[in-house]
Amino acid sequence: MKHTIYMTPMPVRIWHWLNAFGIVTLTVTGLQIRFPEYVNIFGTYKAAIRLHNTAGTVVSISYALWFIYYLFVAGTLSKLYLPTAEDITHGIFRQAFFYFYNYFLGRPNPHHSTPDSKFNPLQKVAYLMIIIILLPLVIVSGFSLMYVAPMRELILLIGGIKTLVSSHFLIACCFTAFLFVHIYLATLGHTPLAHFKPMWSGWEEEDDEGEQSPGNNPAKQH
Amino acid sequence: MRVYTMLLILAALMASITGAVWGAEPENDRCLACHGSKDIIKMGGERLLINPVRFAATTHSFIGCKTCHDSVTPQHPRDGAKPSKASCRECHAPIQAEYAKSIHSAKAACNDCHNPHEVKSPMAVSGDDINAKCAKCHDARKTIKSHTKWLPQADLHIEALPCITCHTGSKDYVITMAIENRPAGAPKGDFKLASLDELSRLLPQGGDISRVIDKDGNGSISLKELREFNHSVNRRDMRLWGMMTPEVVTHSYQILDNRWDCTFCHASGPKAMQTSYVAFPDKSGGDTRLPVEKGAILDILYGTPDFYMLGSTRSTPLNILGALIIVCGLMFPLVHGTLRLLTRKNRKEHQQ
Repeated sequence: MKHTIYMTPMPVRIWHWLNAFGIVTLTVTGLQIRFPEYVNIFGTYKAAIRLHNTAGTVVSISYALWFIYYLFVAGTLSKLYLPTAEDITHGIFRQAFFYFYNYFLGRPNPHHSTPDSKFNPLQKVAYLMIIIILLPLVIVSGFSLMYVAPMRELILLIGGIKTLVSSHFLIACCFTAFLFVHIYLATLGHTPLAHFKPMWSGWEEEDDEGEQSPGNNPAKQH
Repeated sequence: MRVYTMLLILAALMASITGAVWGAEPENDRCLACHGSKDIIKMGGERLLINPVRFAATTHSFIGCKTCHDSVTPQHPRDGAKPSKASCRECHAPIQAEYAKSIHSAKAACNDCHNPHEVKSPMAVSGDDINAKCAKCHDARKTIKSHTKWLPQADLHIEALPCITCHTGSKDYVITMAIENRPAGAPKGDFKLASLDELSRLLPQGGDISRVIDKDGNGSISLKELREFNHSVNRRDMRLWGMMTPEVVTHSYQILDNRWDCTFCHASGPKAMQTSYVAFPDKSGGDTRLPVEKGAILDILYGTPDFYMLGSTRSTPLNILGALIIVCGLMFPLVHGTLRLLTRKNRKEHQQ
């Protein structure tokens, strides 16, 4: 028997797709900005920089709104994203063991998603890293590069522009790498599209039986 | 023995040069008594007026007025004769030959760009000065428009570079920095090259103007001195600004193929922009350049705080590291996906 549950509220979905579009734009424009002699997608260098700056600002604002929404409006930030002690000591290993071994043997997913506990321990750790560390870092480094002169003291503190650009670039590479893993893991639902649909409509269809079915909890978007 | 001969030749040469200087100056003074005064404009136009301070700073002043204007008689100007003018080629034959081969030679003669009475050595000319010469014929708007076709940020490039950096051949290029300021209380005002007077005010105790940065007065600027200057100046009203200039100025005007490649300038690593100078205005209206310790330009925040040259922060090891991170991300779906495909039976069995 199948039933649907409201997994992803509207503001979170809007944020997710705004972010997705923004990050893809940032990646592609960033590629042209770093390798202008090999890559020219947006016509001129200036256009690539403008688009990169605009997308960066959009993603930053949407991040701030998301943060405020989860922390104050929904009030579920810590519940959804903060791993418990059990998650750290056992959960992440159990989940990793599932993805890399048990999944292939057809054994069930140790974690079952509910609107209150959307993420498995591995997801919690990965998203926490991205949302609390990498995303703020890439935003701060990006704005510092947009406004070198006013951000001078901060840039000096972290060791100059070279360090700043290097970190911005490496974090961007991490995001790109994450993007591949993220999209792939989203196909691990009971059907390959099972986890894409709720990110559009909010409603996730699931098997009552399938609660314990293998791979029913991939990278579900925040 | 050879060394002695060399020294003798050198001594003779020095004697002849200093002799020329000693001989030239009183003679120049006699000419400048009239030609250095604005009254002469009434007699024959502005072209007869010579700025004595600027002329004194030229190498031409050492050889004296009469060397080039050799037909001037003691009766001048009462004799009514028009004094002769030497042609530049007489002394500067190699430069003339080089220039004659360039695409520019049909368009302008030496005098169109160089005023022999104000000519400065390449070291004493700022990039702005050079561009002002080009702008006499090349309209800035049209120049920007034609460069926009291929050059990103054409306006910025043209403002920040002397034309000759791309349009003449030189083996090496250097960054020449200069102090710029803007009126106090005008946070959005344009920065302009600081004048000698304005910089003198930074040195109430007097002394050479280069002491504004070169605190120890040893004739070269260390990274430490540069940093101290950048920290000490009120950043909103004063800054250092850099221009890339050819190390050796040539007259081989051309369109150089390798300038289409951004990495000609926007490069990183040990070869990029290591040599730099700070130019200070001097009393003659020219500039005096002081060498800066290597690495100032790559140390961008310390060198030129408002100047960020794209590409100078690029590094191949970092690009490889970045690519590896992305490849790792790609490998996960590939490897996991392959295993997933191979083990799909196991999951079907479970569901059944």
